[in-house]
Amino acid sequence: MSETDSLRSDLLEAMNFLGAMAAGLEEALGDPSKSISYLAGEKLGLQFSSGANRVDDLQDALQEVSSILYKNHCLWAFEPFKKKSEKEMVHLSQEGEEIMLVFRDCMIRQSLFCYGHPQKGSLCNMMFGFFSGALKNITGYSSRLEIVHAGENACYKRLTLFRKQNPLPA
Amino acid sequence: MVHVEINESGCRGCRMCVDICPTEVFEFDEPARKARVRESEDCIGCLSCSYLCPSKSITHSDFPVVKNFYRDLQFCRKKEAFL
Ligand code: SF4
Ligand code: SF4
Repeated sequence: MSETDSLRSDLLEAMNFLGAMAAGLEEALGDPSKSISYLAGEKLGLQFSSGANRVDDLQDALQEVSSILYKNHCLWAFEPFKKKSEKEMVHLSQEGEEIMLVFRDCMIRQSLFCYGHPQKGSLCNMMFGFFSGALKNITGYSSRLEIVHAGENACYKRLTLFRKQNPLPA
Repeated sequence: MVHVEINESGCRGCRMCVDICPTEVFEFDEPARKARVRESEDCIGCLSCSYLCPSKSITHSDFPVVKNFYRDLQFCRKKEAFL
């Protein structure tokens, strides 16, 4: 078996196991299961980004998150998105800064689809946790990643960086 | 860049594509009772519209296709050559 085949099969097994666990937790606990996977994702985000550079610009910070994911072999490819009619990627909101993100290759979506588990569940919340943890280390602010649309081939999410709150201690 | 097209003669006017699209790629032509592409460039290639369209009248081109997981490793290996 080639190295890629073996990595792929390990990832598939791990993700399917997580998918089944998350589906079971959702059934047993309901909504609180989302907090559990959020915290697991946040811990991972904080851990992976512990040595990351502190960056102020939101788009640069996302670039940093992207390279952290890549370095840690996480299949979570995403890109910033703006509509043709919009001038800027980053918008100011009451809470801080907002940017829309498109997630294409996502190991969570792909493992959910393997067994027909629904999207937008607790495992998807793990991604919110991961971003939250990583962006805390990189920007010093808390953030929220909302699922605007979960599609078959891509998901559309809104990331808010809470710049209007006090920065978190370094 | 993703390109979206609606086969006008197939459209039943159900509006499902208009309602599901997260980036408002479609608009509804009331007099004609048909959906139209408003801004193809805004499409993120989620494919929800073509999945839902009851007439399978929506087609996309130039969109990134995700690399799916396969249970069968032999099949997975064959697919690997094209990734
Ligand atoms: S989903 Fe299909 S049939 Fe329905 S309005 Fe859109 S193009 Fe027409
Ligand atoms: S693929 Fe998604 S973004 Fe593109 S037109 Fe269809 S629903 Fe809208």
